[in-house]
Amino acid sequence: MNKVLLIEPDRVLAEVYKRAIEADGLTEVISVTGAQTAIMAADQRKPDLVILELQLIEHSGLEFLYEFRSYPEWQSIPVLVQTMVPFAEFNDNWHLLRGELGVRAYMYKPSTSLRQLLSSIKEHSLVTQ
Amino acid sequence: MAGDGYPASILSQQLLVGVAEELKLPLLQIARQLELAQLNGSTNLATVQATAQTALQLLDNYVLGVRLALEPQHFPLEAVSVSSVLYDASQQLDAFAKSYGVSLELNIAGKYGPVLANKQGLQAALVSVGAALIEAIPALEGNQQLKLHLATHRSRYGIIAGVYADTKKLSNEALQKGRRLQGRSRQPLLNLSQSNGAGIFVADAILHAMDLHLMASRHHRLHGLGTVLQSNHQLQLV
Repeated sequence: MNKVLLIEPDRVLAEVYKRAIEADGLTEVISVTGAQTAIMAADQRKPDLVILELQLIEHSGLEFLYEFRSYPEWQSIPVLVQTMVPFAEFNDNWHLLRGELGVRAYMYKPSTSLRQLLSSIKEHSLVTQ
Repeated sequence: MAGDGYPASILSQQLLVGVAEELKLPLLQIARQLELAQLNGSTNLATVQATAQTALQLLDNYVLGVRLALEPQHFPLEAVSVSSVLYDASQQLDAFAKSYGVSLELNIAGKYGPVLANKQGLQAALVSVGAALIEAIPALEGNQQLKLHLATHRSRYGIIAGVYADTKKLSNEALQKGRRLQGRSRQPLLNLSQSNGAGIFVADAILHAMDLHLMASRHHRLHGLGTVLQSNHQLQLV
């Protein structure tokens, strides 16, 4: 079974994403709300893919990424950013996110449908297999 | 009430932008829940309804804040029962709290007598702060208790009405920093809210228009945001 670590601070949205992703019966979603619990969950549950909101309480998604990528065993795990932050606002940092921190895809949350999210998960899960 | 001039906090474009940004979340929640229903054939209609209702409340409260500032004569101060306002606020927040798995607790024991406020404004402020905290509480790391207390108590400054949670992240410093960053940062209340916390700033503006102040407060071991109200002594003598 594939394991997806979902880092989503909004409880209602997290539940919707979890139900949509797990509907295939082949994927388990580990849902957390913040950066610290995400690191702990990654350590304990060994996810195959991460979906990350950049706007988190206290520690940002960017801080999570720096920490996450600092461990050799997590460097090749695909990270998809799905966020409320419009692309234009971190346009200059995209090369950092993509290049240095290995973000595979950016999705603007308000305009990313569940179908698009599921398709992106499938695409990037396949890349690693 | 703050009748002279238009308080910048209410009419500021920052607050309006904040409310618009904040409304993206409930609209997104509704859109994705309906999409999930199309994909899987099931959705939680109660959650959709609570989400829409709370978004409408935020808009109503923003408009009320503007009207309080522009037409204070239409919102006179009156003798208000704090317990009754907190009870009504908890009723308004109940369905929304359920959708976030947060339980509401009302701590209104004790005799406080009437206070001087505008009932509609006070209730709107408490509901705005309450809704913002209901969204935030499940996202606070290390917060085991998904509980929001609507409470009142007496202090040496007056009678305090507020909303409280088991978190130390509600402080005057965080609030002041948030006010400074409002409109300039996507997360002015970084330690408290993943969004721009518009509900808290709307409450701030409503209270400001009534010459009241939103401030950090403690209720027993809980931390929260509330406002100090003055007793209506004139009425108590009757």
